[in-house]
Amino acid sequence: MHGSPDRTRRWIRVFAAPVLLAAATITGLLAALLWGTVGQYVAWVTVGAPVLVIAWVWVRRGSQKPRHFDRMLRGK
Amino acid sequence: MKARTVRLWSVVHTWTSLISTIFLLLLCLTGLPLIFHHEIDELLGYAPQPEAHASAARATTQAVADAALAADPGRVLQYISWDKDEPGIVTAFTNSAVDGLPDNTTVRAFDAVSTKLLGPVGVGPMLIVLKLHTDMFAGQPGKLFLGGMGLLFAIAIISGVVLYWPFTRRLRFATIRDRASTRVRWLDWHNLIGVVTVAWALVVGLTGVVNTWAELMLNQWKATELASMVAPYAGKPPPSHLASLDDVVARARQTAPGMEVAFIAFPGTPFTSSHHFAAFMRGDTALTARLLKPVLLDGETGQVADSRALPVYLQALLISQPLHFGDYGGMPLKVIWAALDLLTIVMIGSGLYLWLTRRRKRAPAKSNAFARRAPVPS
Repeated sequence: MHGSPDRTRRWIRVFAAPVLLAAATITGLLAALLWGTVGQYVAWVTVGAPVLVIAWVWVRRGSQKPRHFDRMLRGK
Repeated sequence: MKARTVRLWSVVHTWTSLISTIFLLLLCLTGLPLIFHHEIDELLGYAPQPEAHASAARATTQAVADAALAADPGRVLQYISWDKDEPGIVTAFTNSAVDGLPDNTTVRAFDAVSTKLLGPVGVGPMLIVLKLHTDMFAGQPGKLFLGGMGLLFAIAIISGVVLYWPFTRRLRFATIRDRASTRVRWLDWHNLIGVVTVAWALVVGLTGVVNTWAELMLNQWKATELASMVAPYAGKPPPSHLASLDDVVARARQTAPGMEVAFIAFPGTPFTSSHHFAAFMRGDTALTARLLKPVLLDGETGQVADSRALPVYLQALLISQPLHFGDYGGMPLKVIWAALDLLTIVMIGSGLYLWLTRRRKRAPAKSNAFARRAPVPS
């Protein structure tokens, strides 16, 4: 990380979300082990976050496709 | 990152993944039903169910031991265990000898109140799945081999993270290029699934590796810590008669106040010396319930001989187990575990597909190979 500010910004853009998800996952894995029932609730949200991201990308793709199709039908 | 560096990491990623692919698929596919093994056993009728009792007075440990020996005449007891999630059941392990082969062990569940035999434990189709997952029916060498595959998986994950930058530096996070070729689309899914599940995959992979070393760690503990605990009793023969198990349990509880007995290992079994009972105590919180504390008791008198905390490597092993199984956060965590397992299968499958299609593309023209290998979007 010793490049230009542009490179730094790009690095953050590429890795910010994965680093946050990794931190959330580790927090959740330990929370269920250390904090009893409350930790379990934390784990469900944070360990489940990567699954939600994939589901969100999948659903977003599905919802975008018909829009492309509509645009094609409208000749745009 | 220089092209040469990318190429080098790419070679590491490709080959560590390829070598371990088949075994990782086996581990993921067998791991999936194992997440729900308790529910599957219950559904198939292989999970013993405790009887309903008006009284909650539990039978004595000695009574359970007597019932276990009566159910398996001519054999000896190796262990008696109590599952904190199944308070109505006591599990007894019998074998032809205290140091008999693990495969010859019979595990039976008994009602904690009436000591009635409830049925065998760890039988049915899930046992086959478990054996495939842990050692592929190849014993300790199989375990260590799968541990090696787990290490390759960890290297593949780390090299994948390094390669994530050159492959996605010009894309927004979670971009799937739907208008590009099928290969590029799968590359995007492969990268996305890989990078969002990286922490979980590393934790599950590495804790799995640690689990494959369990026997080695136990041997190390026996050769060092346990040996020094029983050193004052060196030369003592195996007990001619066994102390009352009720005394053993009571004294173990006195030695570790606030803790409950997780399991008792009988003299001569792999978890203790030839002369001592070992009562492994557990706490009552999510963490302390995993960190066992052994109390060593004389096999003939039931007197406490010694008690020490387990060494760090065995504590690491005990903590690594829930982190590998995902069985410590209720049903929702199990479902999330299964979803992450499925995503890992998709990631492994897509990686294989990307490698095969790249080979096909490289075959007609071997020149300009790197450009094909690293389709960095412009």
